[in-house]
Amino acid sequence: MRADEGTLAGLMAKAQGGDSRAYTVLLSECSTWLTRYYANRIAPSQVDDLVQDVLMAMHRKRASYDPARPFLPWLAAIARYRWIDALRKHYRAGMDDLHEDSATQDSEEDAVMARVSLARLFVKLSPPQAEAIALVKIEGRSVREASQETGQSESAVKVNIHRGLKKLSALIEKAE
Amino acid sequence: MDRASSSLIEDLAADLEPVRAFRARDGLLLTGAAVVISLLIVALIHGFWHGAIEGTASPFFYLGNGLLTIFGFACAASVVRMASPSVGNNYSGAYWMLAMLGVLPVVALTGIGTGDHAHDLFKDPYGLECALHGSAVALVTAVAFTGWLRRGAPVNANRAGLLTGLASGALGGAAYGLSCPLDTLGHVAIWHVLPVAIAGFLGRMVLPRLLRW
Repeated sequence: MRADEGTLAGLMAKAQGGDSRAYTVLLSECSTWLTRYYANRIAPSQVDDLVQDVLMAMHRKRASYDPARPFLPWLAAIARYRWIDALRKHYRAGMDDLHEDSATQDSEEDAVMARVSLARLFVKLSPPQAEAIALVKIEGRSVREASQETGQSESAVKVNIHRGLKKLSALIEKAE
Repeated sequence: MDRASSSLIEDLAADLEPVRAFRARDGLLLTGAAVVISLLIVALIHGFWHGAIEGTASPFFYLGNGLLTIFGFACAASVVRMASPSVGNNYSGAYWMLAMLGVLPVVALTGIGTGDHAHDLFKDPYGLECALHGSAVALVTAVAFTGWLRRGAPVNANRAGLLTGLASGALGGAAYGLSCPLDTLGHVAIWHVLPVAIAGFLGRMVLPRLLRW
């Protein structure tokens, strides 16, 4: 079962009041939501670590949620923030290739998910920036391999990653 | 869900304590408190200029300080909201307001309507003093907002630092402006707006490292 926006917002409000049972349910739902959210946007081997990182960030910053506002856009902003941080920090060559995530394929994309999705951020990048980040930071290729594959020089790949991540940081709260 | 995630969720739930949820109203009250403290400091140290209170200052005085105040509150509202991130938030209004405020120094520097020469404006013997005092008063708001943002979860530290600086500079400059008897367009538009640029620059350069989490 997937909890809807209203249910999640209600659970979060209860969690802010100290209701640990509501909090457990909320974190479990968020864990599932985040796993789907990150599908194909980070190497599969890193998804669990990133989901746990976001759950801890949620816990640390739970006071920052305003119960008068929707919950998922708040969660998505934090998820995007930690995702960009992870792309910056974790560069590992030779990661597993990405595979299709059946959870995303099978599930019904709801409006909120579409509005806050990570794909919305990627389309704001220039094609060389998106290509460089996807190859090096998500698929785990080396800069040299990305250079050969894209036809960009190695310096250009590095510059495009740097500029692209900087641009993504500025776009975290942007929905369109 | 894997075992590590389940175990983490159990730990986090066991560690749960009630928190005071973010409320925009709290941030606006904080802004109001920072402005009142800034005004008290200016009143105690410099005293308010009687011309400002009696309504005999030039229109430029009210125009300049009024725009600074409105700009300061617009940036402050953005800073308050940044503590509670959300996809869909938009802060572009503050930048439009900055462009609006920029009209003041542009008009002063070009001498349109006054015939002043730009180089004369920089010979103002009290100008730098006003800019520095305004910047010093801005510290009150800057400290309050830094604490607010550190409690929250700003997801763009650079923007949060910049807007904190701009809000602080504008509100500090406007508060100090009430003590300054120089009410020409050139003085108000250059030296009382300068704290916005100074605080904005310092906010952008210094605050991000304090706001990342």
